[in-house]
Amino acid sequence: MIGFWTNDEAASSQASSPLAYLMHTLRRCLIPVLTAAACTALLAQSVALPNRPDSVKFAAIGDNGTGDRPQYEVAQQMTSAHSRFPFDFVIMLGDNMYGGQQPNDFVRKFEQPYAALLAANVKFQASLGNHDRPENASYGPFNMNGQRYYTYVRKNVRFLALDSTLMDRKQLDWIDATLRDSREDWKVCYFHHPLYSNASRHGSSIDLRLQMEPIFLKNGVNVVFSGHDHVYERLRPQKGIYYFVSGAAGQLRRGNMEPSEQTAASFDQDQSFMLVEVAGLEMFFQSISRTGRVVDSGVIRRQQRPPS
Amino acid sequence: MPRRLYDLRASIPRLWAFAHEHLLLLPAGAATALVWVNTLPESYYRFSYAIAFAVNDVAMAFFFALMTKEVVEATAPGGMLHPWRRALLPVIAAIAATTLAALFHVQMVAALDEPALAVAWPVTFASDLAFSYFVARIICGRHPIIPFVLMLGIASDALGGVAIAAFHPTVVHHFTKGGMVLALALGLALALRRARVTSFWPYLLIPGSLSWFAFWWSGLPPAFGLAPIMPFLPHAPRDPGFFVDASPDAKDTLSRFEVWWRHPSQIALFYFGLVNAGVAFHSLEPGTWGLPLAVLVGKPLGVLIGAGSALAAGLHLPLSLGWRELVVVGFIAAIGFSVGLFFCSALLPPGQLHSETSMGVLLSLAGAPLALLAARLLGVGRFAR
Repeated sequence: MIGFWTNDEAASSQASSPLAYLMHTLRRCLIPVLTAAACTALLAQSVALPNRPDSVKFAAIGDNGTGDRPQYEVAQQMTSAHSRFPFDFVIMLGDNMYGGQQPNDFVRKFEQPYAALLAANVKFQASLGNHDRPENASYGPFNMNGQRYYTYVRKNVRFLALDSTLMDRKQLDWIDATLRDSREDWKVCYFHHPLYSNASRHGSSIDLRLQMEPIFLKNGVNVVFSGHDHVYERLRPQKGIYYFVSGAAGQLRRGNMEPSEQTAASFDQDQSFMLVEVAGLEMFFQSISRTGRVVDSGVIRRQQRPPS
Repeated sequence: MPRRLYDLRASIPRLWAFAHEHLLLLPAGAATALVWVNTLPESYYRFSYAIAFAVNDVAMAFFFALMTKEVVEATAPGGMLHPWRRALLPVIAAIAATTLAALFHVQMVAALDEPALAVAWPVTFASDLAFSYFVARIICGRHPIIPFVLMLGIASDALGGVAIAAFHPTVVHHFTKGGMVLALALGLALALRRARVTSFWPYLLIPGSLSWFAFWWSGLPPAFGLAPIMPFLPHAPRDPGFFVDASPDAKDTLSRFEVWWRHPSQIALFYFGLVNAGVAFHSLEPGTWGLPLAVLVGKPLGVLIGAGSALAAGLHLPLSLGWRELVVVGFIAAIGFSVGLFFCSALLPPGQLHSETSMGVLLSLAGAPLALLAARLLGVGRFAR
C-alpha cells in the first residue's frame, strides 16, 4: 500500500461583487503559483521524510560516474540533503564509472563529487554495472571487499548487492540461500539491470527477470532498486514486490520514459537520486532532481511474508 | 489437393538436403530466435531456458563428436593432418591469430566503454569449421587453402576450449574428480577397442556417458564430453576427406556413427541457433562491436604474423599459398558462428553480456563477404588473374 502527500484544493466560492470576484480570481490564480514557487524553493532546502532518529536512512544513485557537471550537481543536492537527513550510506546501482577507470578517474568521478559525504563518513555500498570494470569490486570506498555480490544488514533491513551483469547459477543459489536465511523485517535487493522498466532505450531485462523473480517471490523480497535506464521510475508492485529504477544520478536520457500501466511515477527531464528511510514496517522514499525538486515521494508498508 | 499434399511431402527431403548441404539449419534457428525474442521475449526466454541444457549440453555433444570424427579421420593416411608435422604452421598461425584477436577484443571493449565484456575474450578464438569450409570452397574450389583453413580452425577451436576451461569467469572447476572419471572412461574405451567391438553403441553408452559426466562434473562444457572417446572408435584406413559424408553402406565404426547421428545433429544445430542466438536488440550497446571488430582485424593480421614467424623459423607454406591467400584465410577464420555461439553460452550466463557477445558472434559472419571481397581484390582462388 502506498500513501502520498496530497494537496487538496480549497472549495470554490461564489463571487458576489466585482471586487470580491477580483479577490477570488487573485486567490485562485496567484496564490497557487506563489505557493508552488515557495514550495519548490523550500523543498530544495528541506527533506520531508519522517526523519526519525532510530530509522535506517540511505540514498540511492545509479549510472552516476560520468565526472561531468550534472553528476557534481546531483552530489551537491545529496550533500545538502544529508545536512538535514543524515543518511548513513549510499547504495550504488551500477555504472559507477564511465569511460576511463584509471586512479585519477576514481578521483574525478567519485572521490571529488562525493567528497563532502565521504568526509562525513557516509559509506558507499556499490554494485557493478556493465560499464564498470570487474576489478572495481576491490576499490576500497565501494565497500565490496572484492566481491561481485555481497550482503549486509542495517538494523532491521537485509541488503543484497548483486551482480546482474554476470548472473550465474552460483550467484542465484547464493541469493536464494541468503534470502532464505534472512530474519530481518525487510529484504532489499539492488543491482544494475532492471527486471521491470518502461524506459524505451533498454526496458525490462526479461531474461534476468525469469531467473531472479521466482527467488525473490519465494523468499519474500520487499523492494528492488536498479539503474541502467537513465531515468527515474517507480513501478506499481509487481507480484507484490516494489521496483524502483534510479539510473540518472549522472547520465540522463531525457524523454526516454514510455509509461505503461506498470508505471506508478516517473521522471525523465533531469538527473535524479533517491532518499530512503526505513522506519519500522514503513519505508519512506523521495526522488529528488538535480535542481532539488522532489519529483516523487511516498511510503511503502512492508508486505506480508510468504508462508514458509 | 491430395496431389499438392503429395508434392509438398515429396519436396521435404529435397528441402532438407538443400538446407543440410548449404548449412542453413543453424542460420534458420538463429533467425527464428532473433524474430521471436524481439516480438515475444517472455515466451522465447521461457522456451529457451527450458531446453537449454538438453540442447547445449546434451544434443551438441553429438555435433562436436562428429566434428571430432572429421579430425580423427584427418589424421589417417591421406588426411590433411597426416603426418602431424603438416599442422605445425597453421597451429602457429592459429596461436598468433587468436592471441591478437583476444588482445584486440579486450582493448576494443574498453575503448567502447564496456570493459565488463572483456571476460568474453575466449569467444574470439572460435572458428566455425563447416562455415569456413563452405566459404573457402566457394572462393577457392579445391585449392590447398582449404586444409589450411580447416587446420587453423581446428587449432583455434581447441585453444578456445582450453581458454574456456582455464579462464571461466564464474565456474569453479573440479579437475581431480572429473579427471579420475575421464581416465576411467578412456580406459573402458581402450578396452572396447582392444576387444574389437565394432558397434558404436557400447562406446557411446559406457565410456561416452562417463566422459560426458566427467566434463559436467569438472565444470567443463559437457558438450565436449564425447570428443575424447571418438579416437577410440575404429575408423577407415584412409581419410575419405573433410566433410565428405560417410556412405550409408560404410562398415567402419566411425562412419556408422556418422550415418546414425548426421541428421539428429543437424536438428540439434537448428535448436542450438534457436536457443543461443536470441538477442534482444534493446540490450545492445556499443561494446557489441568489440568482438566482430577484434576478430575481423585481429585474425587476418594474426595469421600473417603467425605465418611470417613460422616461415622465419624455417617452416614452409604449402605451394600456391602466399600472403594474399593468408589474408583471405584470416577473414574466413574470423567466422565464429556455431562454435562462437557455443563458446558464448559455455562462458556467459544469460544477460546483457551474453546477448552482446552472441550478437558479436553473429556479426562475425561479415568475415564471409569480407573474405570474398579480399579474394576479389587480391586475385585469390577463382578470382586469380
